[in-house]
Amino acid sequence: MGMYGRVLLSALGRRAMIVILLAIIVAFALLSDRFATLSNAQTILQGASALSLLAIGQTLVVLSGGIDLSVGSLVALSGVIASLVVQGNPDMLLPAVLAGVGVGLFAGLVSGLLVAVAGVPPFIVTLGMLTSASGLAYVFSNGSPISGLPENFLAISSGSVFGVQIPIIIMVIAFAAFLILLTRTAYGMRLYAVGGNPTASRIAGVRVPVIYVSAYAASGALAGLAGVILASRVTAGIPTTGAGYELDSIAAVVVGGASLLGGRGTLRGTALGLFLIQTLNNGFDILNVTSYVQKIVKGALIVVAVFVDVHANRRRS
Amino acid sequence: MADARVPALSCSGLAKSFGGVRVLEDVSFDFEPGTVNILAGENGAGKSTLLKIISGQERPEAGSVSIFGNTVTHFDPRHTRGLGVGIVPQELAPVLDRPVYENLFLGREIRGRSHLLNHGEMVRRAHEMLEVFELDIDPRVPMRYLSVASMQLVEIVKTTTSGARVLLLDEPTSAIPEREVEVLFGVISKLKAQGVAVVYTTHRMAEIEGIGDRVVVLRDGRLVLDRAVRELTEADIVRAMIGRSLGLLFPAKALVDSDTQPVLEVRDLRVETRPAVDLTVRPGEIVGLGGLVGAGRSELLEGIFGVRPSVGQVELGGRRVPRGDPSAAIALGVCFVPEDRKRAGLILSLPVLDNGAIPNLRRFTGPFGWFRRRLAEKVVGEAAEMTQLKSRGLSQLVETLSGGNQQKVVLAKWLTRDVSVLLLDEPTRGVDIGARSEIYRVIAGLARRGVAVLLVSSDLEELLGLSHRVLVMRRGEVMGELGPDEVSSPEAQERVLRFATGMVDTALAW
Repeated sequence: MGMYGRVLLSALGRRAMIVILLAIIVAFALLSDRFATLSNAQTILQGASALSLLAIGQTLVVLSGGIDLSVGSLVALSGVIASLVVQGNPDMLLPAVLAGVGVGLFAGLVSGLLVAVAGVPPFIVTLGMLTSASGLAYVFSNGSPISGLPENFLAISSGSVFGVQIPIIIMVIAFAAFLILLTRTAYGMRLYAVGGNPTASRIAGVRVPVIYVSAYAASGALAGLAGVILASRVTAGIPTTGAGYELDSIAAVVVGGASLLGGRGTLRGTALGLFLIQTLNNGFDILNVTSYVQKIVKGALIVVAVFVDVHANRRRS
Repeated sequence: MADARVPALSCSGLAKSFGGVRVLEDVSFDFEPGTVNILAGENGAGKSTLLKIISGQERPEAGSVSIFGNTVTHFDPRHTRGLGVGIVPQELAPVLDRPVYENLFLGREIRGRSHLLNHGEMVRRAHEMLEVFELDIDPRVPMRYLSVASMQLVEIVKTTTSGARVLLLDEPTSAIPEREVEVLFGVISKLKAQGVAVVYTTHRMAEIEGIGDRVVVLRDGRLVLDRAVRELTEADIVRAMIGRSLGLLFPAKALVDSDTQPVLEVRDLRVETRPAVDLTVRPGEIVGLGGLVGAGRSELLEGIFGVRPSVGQVELGGRRVPRGDPSAAIALGVCFVPEDRKRAGLILSLPVLDNGAIPNLRRFTGPFGWFRRRLAEKVVGEAAEMTQLKSRGLSQLVETLSGGNQQKVVLAKWLTRDVSVLLLDEPTRGVDIGARSEIYRVIAGLARRGVAVLLVSSDLEELLGLSHRVLVMRRGEVMGELGPDEVSSPEAQERVLRFATGMVDTALAW
């Protein structure tokens, strides 16, 4: 890297990601007059909403020093379960939502206990959960979509309050709530501490297993909620929904500057990472760039973003 | 062998600054072949910078370095290595999962005619190399199974067998147990006989006298002392390092009333499979635990605190401390400063504030789990002040603090709460003398406030200088005790060593 590059990067510092996001927005706005519109902004937000819940959960797990590969499958499993409960029975709306979130929460608790108590590495535990939950989704759905979902269930994704779609509201509330949790509560401080150094945290009196279990449980429950929203959006519980979302959520977290070693990262970073990826997807769609090319760019973006972050922040460490 | 009149290492007029701060100023000295030269000085005195310049990792702003008469023209590690400079850094980086011989031959592998590796030959040669130094290490075992001391010896063998004639050892004893220091000294003596010039940095006085031919002291980047070790007393060296005399290093011991009921009572405590231990500590009393590394002292502290499994009774002011639950022990007022602050004492990636607040989060937690930042800032700030922590503020990340200041954070985090028992494991390891005396003052101050202190230290002066009583352990058992009068007697060090080694009648050359 040349002199100017280094100076530029260190001047950008923490702002690097937001500058890149703004640059991308300006570029797309110049390339297409359909990009910078209010309805397209809603499209981007709506598209990001389900994934944002996964990314929030992933942020908690990554901060704790782990990784959650199971969230994509949990989306499918939760969508299938919620659809089975509510199929042809509008009165079952609330039980369906609770069942969807509950199944995610339960799976997260299982993963968390295996990590915290049994001591199995998070990658292995959640890889196992990814596979098993996907299998369960196929078993419950018999391998085919569960459709015929009532209007009130579909309204979860299509309805709006004061002109804002419900999933967007859920996303905003979730971001705000978890932002407060991570930055303003004792729990948040403990989570960072455990991810930064579990041994020192234990000696300082933190109940380390509780922190681990809670992170995976939260990630699972959020994946369950995302599964409900997605089943509502695609109007069916489909066992393939959410496949690959685990990697998208990890991408958002690492593009947002978190360390996969734990203890470092912010929810603000995750949000920026998520919107960077979503904005690129949307802009390319508008410009009719094929999804194959989009994937190439997205892959490169992940590496470049982390490269920029590493170099922009190097001076501080 | 080089001509004895040509210095092995000659530095003249070296100067270096970082960001406008002078860290080295006009440093000149000559080291002869076949000598051990101690480079002493407090942390921040410029030792590391000097080693980096000699090993070609930094370029001086003025002055020159020559190795056996060859002037260093490029300050580049490859160039200085070619001239015969080898460095064994403080933090080793071996390839843990590969065998010792592969580590020895990394970068200079022996190949057969087919250009494939000749493992047999490498193992044979590795055997020879280790034998020369009388090291009992099997070159075929993975590095991981070696002690830190052995890893370091392998690194020294590797460096010198690849042609180093000037060997820089950066605090080689900071991470190894006392009994293995002997082995290291044996290796260094052999290198001396081979005509290698050894440059050795350390904080420990005993080592300067034990191994050094000559001592060079840096203070604030200037060379303030350069003499033969035999012409100097310990006090001379310390005075040169800190610029004042050391009389006040250990604060006066406050009197402890022997009628007071003990606050900490340990009865029949078996840590893992070790023998049962009984001990008591009164309020305001500092009880030292002496012994060799491996005697089970750290394990005893960890057992009492609950991070290591144990059975038996630990009572605190008559209340039973449950076994194996550190958070319960903390709630009852026990706190623990572990030996390895980076691994177990601190969360390096977090600021001073968070590290200080975490042991006491319940106090800083408001309604709905809210973190009461203002209150934490006030309390942690006061604790930091008590330890004379030097930082840019509570938001400074702990990983950017010096070793001594990191250790002060470890202490400060327990000052934020009511403590009745303080368990200290090697509280000043790797901490320079200036910061050490401040840490001693904090410990003594806590004792004066009625805290019962149980102190593990391998530094005999520290152990005897701080403790009211000393218990000496060997193989997990308490072998003997030095009472308040015995601790300050001239024979105290020797008595501790006799109990520690079990050599009751043999004279000890230490």
